[in-house]
Amino acid sequence: MKRQTQFNSQEQQQDAQQQQQEQQAQQSAALEFGSAEEMLRHDASRTPVPPGIWRRLRDSLAQLPAAHASWWRRLLGGS
Amino acid sequence: MAEPGPRPALVQHAHRARPGRSSAEPADAPEDSEFAKVYNEHSRAIFYLALRLLGDPQKAEDATHDVFLKAFRKMDQFRRESSWRTWLYRIAINHCRNLQQAWHQRHILSNVDDALWETTAARTDSPLRVLETKELGQRIQTTLDRLPAEYRLLLLLVADEQLSYEQIGALTEQTPDAVRGKLHRARKAFAVLFEKSA
Repeated sequence: MKRQTQFNSQEQQQDAQQQQQEQQAQQSAALEFGSAEEMLRHDASRTPVPPGIWRRLRDSLAQLPAAHASWWRRLLGGS
Repeated sequence: MAEPGPRPALVQHAHRARPGRSSAEPADAPEDSEFAKVYNEHSRAIFYLALRLLGDPQKAEDATHDVFLKAFRKMDQFRRESSWRTWLYRIAINHCRNLQQAWHQRHILSNVDDALWETTAARTDSPLRVLETKELGQRIQTTLDRLPAEYRLLLLLVADEQLSYEQIGALTEQTPDAVRGKLHRARKAFAVLFEKSA
């Protein structure tokens, strides 16, 4: 029983050590880009669009006058 | 063409919630409306361009809203031979320029000629490195802010793989060859300034 406990404890220590090493590796891993565009592309891919824009846009569109309804129909695929 | 109706159907549908969508996806629009598709496909590119041109997330959010609204209001001017992407970019570029009335005077280095980049010793053939992901956005912004406006816009457009040199040339009012030539200098300038931003 005691042996089992020691074994578990060792395993936990190893896990913790491994986790720490992985974290350190992640922190020190340099990102490398071949060009400015590549870097910007990466940055753009991890830049989320704020969801509030859509809500505001929807509200703004709802307030448009009826004169704009023709293009609404086009947007919606109507004839 | 049918007569204009009293209320756009999109808005009537717009209050139906849809589960399991991405963060960039319109929250309530019907997935199959062209409106939602256009927004889904291009909002990230437009927001990113506005963010990096204006350097302020709140201004970029406002600009993205205004760009899409303007685009949809001017739908009758949209020619199908141009893509939605370039149409939206054109509006976004003009919109951001208008917001920055002092576009050319905003940055001290904007009028500096290429001699600066040519004479600066920088390892431009080396990869651009950054240690922390969290610092990347800030360093990119700092670097772009110091670039001449023309180079900044060029690099942001070239970073979009959906755009050809022809389209970038049309958006920046120059030939594709001129785009290629300036791109070389823009890359070099970016590399020099990025190194300094560390």
